[in-house]
Amino acid sequence: MAEEPGLSDQYPTASPWPLFVALGLALSEIGVFVGLFPVAVFGLILFGGSIAGILTESGYVERPWPTLLGVGVVLIVLAAAFAVWQVPVADIALSNVGTGPLLTRLVAVAAAGTVMIAMGGVASIMEQTAA
Amino acid sequence: MVAGDIVLTGLMAVLLVGVAALLTRVENWRSYTPLAGGGAVTGDEAAVINREKPAGIIRWLTTVDHKDIGLLYGVYAVIAFAVGGIMAMLIRLQLVTPAGAILGNNAYNSILTSHGITMLFLFGTPIIAAFANYFIPLLIGADDMAFPRINAIAFWLLPPAALLIWAGFFLAPVTENMIEPARTAWTMYTPLSVEQANPGVDLMLLGLHLSGVAATMGAINFIATIFTERNEEVNWANLDIFSWTILTQSALILFAFPLLGSAIVMLLLDRNLSTTFFAVEGGGPLLWQHLFWFFGHPEVYILVLPPMGLVSLILPKFSGRKLFGFKFVVYSTLAIGVLSFGVWAHHMFSTGMDPRLRASFMAVSLAIAIPSAVKTFNWITTMWNGRLRLTTPMLFCIGFVSNFIIGGVTGVFLASIPVDLILHDTYYVVGHFHYIVMGAIGFAAFAGIYYWFPIFTGRMYQRTLGKAHFWFSMVGTNITFFAMLALGYLGMPRRYATYEFDGAIAPLTQVSTFHQAATVGAVILFIGQLFFVWNIVQSWLEGPKVEDGDPWNLERDGMLDREFQWFDEQLEAEAPEKDPSLLADGGEEEQDDS
Repeated sequence: MAEEPGLSDQYPTASPWPLFVALGLALSEIGVFVGLFPVAVFGLILFGGSIAGILTESGYVERPWPTLLGVGVVLIVLAAAFAVWQVPVADIALSNVGTGPLLTRLVAVAAAGTVMIAMGGVASIMEQTAA
Repeated sequence: MVAGDIVLTGLMAVLLVGVAALLTRVENWRSYTPLAGGGAVTGDEAAVINREKPAGIIRWLTTVDHKDIGLLYGVYAVIAFAVGGIMAMLIRLQLVTPAGAILGNNAYNSILTSHGITMLFLFGTPIIAAFANYFIPLLIGADDMAFPRINAIAFWLLPPAALLIWAGFFLAPVTENMIEPARTAWTMYTPLSVEQANPGVDLMLLGLHLSGVAATMGAINFIATIFTERNEEVNWANLDIFSWTILTQSALILFAFPLLGSAIVMLLLDRNLSTTFFAVEGGGPLLWQHLFWFFGHPEVYILVLPPMGLVSLILPKFSGRKLFGFKFVVYSTLAIGVLSFGVWAHHMFSTGMDPRLRASFMAVSLAIAIPSAVKTFNWITTMWNGRLRLTTPMLFCIGFVSNFIIGGVTGVFLASIPVDLILHDTYYVVGHFHYIVMGAIGFAAFAGIYYWFPIFTGRMYQRTLGKAHFWFSMVGTNITFFAMLALGYLGMPRRYATYEFDGAIAPLTQVSTFHQAATVGAVILFIGQLFFVWNIVQSWLEGPKVEDGDPWNLERDGMLDREFQWFDEQLEAEAPEKDPSLLADGGEEEQDDS
């Protein structure tokens, strides 16, 4: 155990992550379904980040960053798949974001995925170069 | 619109930075040492711990201890019960006069919708989860739930769910009624629920969806816990009755709630993205009713089986006799669980569905009365010639049996197609299911709260107030809901905000009288709940401390279950060390002054 243990190392029956997993899921749902772009992006980032955190804390993975990266990839793949399946190719353009009901939501999901990939990637590299 | 987006972005960014900052403060991410399988505590780790839980509010926000989460569920459910109860009082006050006494039609419909959803999803399911979280691990001798963190996630999904379900009430004043409370009734029938453009409906649906996700996570956890975490002394033959009912309930949740979640997503897509799942040119409006009731009827048993388990557990303790026909109570639980998925269309007899299908649903609906009656006779036979002790939890158990008989028998009549066609959508239905949800489920919840109050709090409740609570509840319940049965026979339709009928439709004088009687009953019921709240709060703070690990004197009859043995061990461990942190549940800081 490290010299300065975190809360959940000090106390075996405490973990800060569940609250934020739940909050992240709630915000993601509101953001995506109601169509609030910023809420969707930030909610998904919080959700993905908390999943990475809770998996690391409980020892299923060693470091959070690959999980964060993975969740980001999954979101982008999902968004892309829905776009190809449901949005006419001619309508897939940056200028159309904010007009169609589906495209804007998919862009929000993809944006959250991109941020997570960036965060996960940068943190991974920083961690490896620092070590 | 752009300005709004910028403000929202700013708010979200601040929230995210705040969360990250908080997490960095409380948690050292580099310190994690891998745990085997992500489980709770391993032996060598426990050795370096000097206190069990962090202090103050952080304890409650970060806890993954099943007992703390049980208490959180309990407090949440009682708050939701108060909200739903106040809504019920508004409904009853409205109906004192035929023209409606206090509310406009829209307000009435909003409150009616929220009352139903609040009581079923925010009170019913969580109060059961409260008992199950606290006591299943203790009853089966487990250290904790199988997945403690998932347990915490399931609870923390509920506060956002409640806020979303009630969102319309908060948002209507600030958005100049752009977002209003949903007025779909709790069944959310299409096409009404698709055509109400109000975004409050979307928020309510999202809240319901979250509560469904929470229930499913909890169910998976209970199944895994009961299957894998039992102590070696606990096998399937001697597993207690409450754990059996929770296991069956969790299986029902596993099959029913994901279906509700999917149906809600389809409804949201119909509302927001122009799909046609429930449109006439698509799946048709009746599809919603099939999907909803395929969830909705098992939901009734999801709500009633664990309370039956509570009664089966508590009633023998105060009868001085073991539960009569234990095996058959278990079998009937399993039978109800299976049959509950074959009765859903009895909610739809009057929709014009195929009569041959109707007949088969009638047969299964009548058949489900048999295992229910098995239980009822077993409870009565357990009390027969027993040494009855009429403590408050026992009174509530007996009240449960009594109300369940009335609620159950009225249900058998409704299962019959010809009777249903006359009584469908009348107050008879409302009276019938309220006998079950308030008279039975509510009563069992009270029985559980009083029975385990010493374990929750380390203190005893005030007996006289407890008994007053019971008698006011019993009398109030029976006046209110019996009057509703009579209103149904008179032809009073349910869900109406006013009832100024033509005399040819229904006898207005009698209808008004029974409505007034129901309101008087509701007031009595409400007063009873004030006794309850006062008793619980005051006793928790100031009640006499329980010194004995067997406050109900169960050892005499050889009925001291594992949870009270655990409680006794806690009291004994606490006595020499005078360390309040050892009695972790209840957060009683004053334990050390005894």
